[in-house]
Amino acid sequence: MDELSPVTATALWVLPLLIAWLWRPRQAAGPSAWILLIAFGTLGAWALWFGLYAHLGEPAGFAFWKPTVLYWTLAAIMIMAPLLGWDYPVKILLGSYFALSNREWRWITVGFATVYTILGGVNLLVASEASYKDWVGFKYSCMMNLLIIVLFRLNFVWLPILADVCIHLYRRATVTYRYLSSLF
Amino acid sequence: MPSVERKPENIVQLIWPGRRSEQVTLDATGKSGGAGEIFSIDSKPGFVAKIYHATTSQARLAQYRRKIQWMVDYKPVLPQVSAEYQDIVQLAWPEALILRQSRFVGFVMQKIAFDRTLELDYLLNRRQAAQEGFDADYGKLVTVSFNLASIINCLHDKRIAIVDLKPMNVKVYKAELYVSILDCDGFHIATDEFRSDAPQVTPEYLAPEFQDKAVAHPEAQDSFALATIIFRLLNYGIHPFTGVASDHNNYPSELAGRIKQGLYPYGKAPHKSVRKVPASVHEAFPDSLRELFDRAFASSGDSRPSAHEWVGALAIYASKHSGQMSPCSKGHLRFSGRPCPTCMRDELIHGAEVRRRSFLARVQTAPARTLKYVKKTLRQTHSSPFQAALAQAQFTLVQLAPPAPISTRNAIALEILWISGLLITYWWTS
Repeated sequence: MDELSPVTATALWVLPLLIAWLWRPRQAAGPSAWILLIAFGTLGAWALWFGLYAHLGEPAGFAFWKPTVLYWTLAAIMIMAPLLGWDYPVKILLGSYFALSNREWRWITVGFATVYTILGGVNLLVASEASYKDWVGFKYSCMMNLLIIVLFRLNFVWLPILADVCIHLYRRATVTYRYLSSLF
Repeated sequence: MPSVERKPENIVQLIWPGRRSEQVTLDATGKSGGAGEIFSIDSKPGFVAKIYHATTSQARLAQYRRKIQWMVDYKPVLPQVSAEYQDIVQLAWPEALILRQSRFVGFVMQKIAFDRTLELDYLLNRRQAAQEGFDADYGKLVTVSFNLASIINCLHDKRIAIVDLKPMNVKVYKAELYVSILDCDGFHIATDEFRSDAPQVTPEYLAPEFQDKAVAHPEAQDSFALATIIFRLLNYGIHPFTGVASDHNNYPSELAGRIKQGLYPYGKAPHKSVRKVPASVHEAFPDSLRELFDRAFASSGDSRPSAHEWVGALAIYASKHSGQMSPCSKGHLRFSGRPCPTCMRDELIHGAEVRRRSFLARVQTAPARTLKYVKKTLRQTHSSPFQAALAQAQFTLVQLAPPAPISTRNAIALEILWISGLLITYWWTS
């Protein structure tokens, strides 16, 4: 398949973000949410620019640093936010569907910060010491944690939303069916 | 009368019994079958001609000629028809040979009035029969069965068998209830003077002992097909080997396979591995008929009732004066002393309709009920203690927080951001 045209590619990220903006919750967000939003906004802008628009590609040698930049950025936020008295950022990443105490959230935050710090370092180590193939394998094995997070999210957030949407659509379909039946 | 173009090939010679010959002209009717085409005869309105297809081989034509010649000379004596119904044609029997330029090409038979008749196939479906102007009741159906059995009995007396006996080959006079059998040139003949085989069969009406084999005993085959037709006539078209299998893996999908394995579920003793279809009314048949059906379908070929036995069994029900058929409280004719099959069928169909509507209603509400259940499970708000316990049992390790008080739209907006973050993470780590 041919590559996406710039217009289509732009529409594909602008439209969801537009919907998110229109349907955003109106209550105020905490500083942890903002810092995560800013971090991911910056990382996303970089990804969009070099992934979709920049013809020359990323700076040479930057590819090896990419996972480390992400992991250490997240680790920094995990470490800094509680120190500044903000809410635990891990609540936003995981979702607040577990009723945990602050102590438990703190330990999870520390755990995430430790894992991200180690992963960032190990990435540099593997990239410099091991073969390219092994480095690629290491990166994909790290994605396993993404999968676990997605499964949690799927079970506790997306499924209830889907249930709400389906009930809503079913009710609308029933009303439409009754209306059409009355016409014929 | 409009003038008809006289093509030379349509001028033929008829050879009547006694070798009396006559020249006539044929006119195409547009009706055609597997073996030949039907023509009207200009000077013989009561007859039609069947001309074999031009593709028929000379050897086959020679066989046909011998057979038709014998049939013309030896027309069987058929059951008596009332004096007022003398124009009834009970057999489309060959009456004369047709020669074209001295070569045999077909035969003449009596014309069956198609406007007064309908295919027996239509009687298997009451609605179709009504559309064709035939208001079926059990009195009429028994009479049709009796008349069919009578003709077959007469043929068997002359050692003639139909072999490919099926509803499509039988016509029924709508008012008189006599039957007419078509395709007589395909009959099996086994007299002392002449013998001719009938290779054509229909698997759905073929006896189990002849499935995948040549028909060695044509009369036994006719008896099986006759019993099948009578069963279907009396049981709203349900074939005697249609059933509900308890083990679907070993249940043949084709009727022929079920016939071969003897999977007949309508016997007086229930079958071990197949049950009757719910709409069957065979339990309203009298014992004498049920025993005949059991012998026809559940026993071996030797004990299968002959056409003669069917004639004897059906005669008392076909006679208006015997009192063996009487009206039920709703006026339907039924076998005396037995439940009314028409009422039974109406009840079965009505019950099925109620169940169907109930099922459809449940299907229509199923998505909403399922989603409601899922939501209650996720939110742990089941009102039933059992369901609540069941739902909570899935999450014994972690206690869930109460649902966030946000709307679905807000939740979708947050998830769009969350998924965007996930994609960004994927890009940076891949």
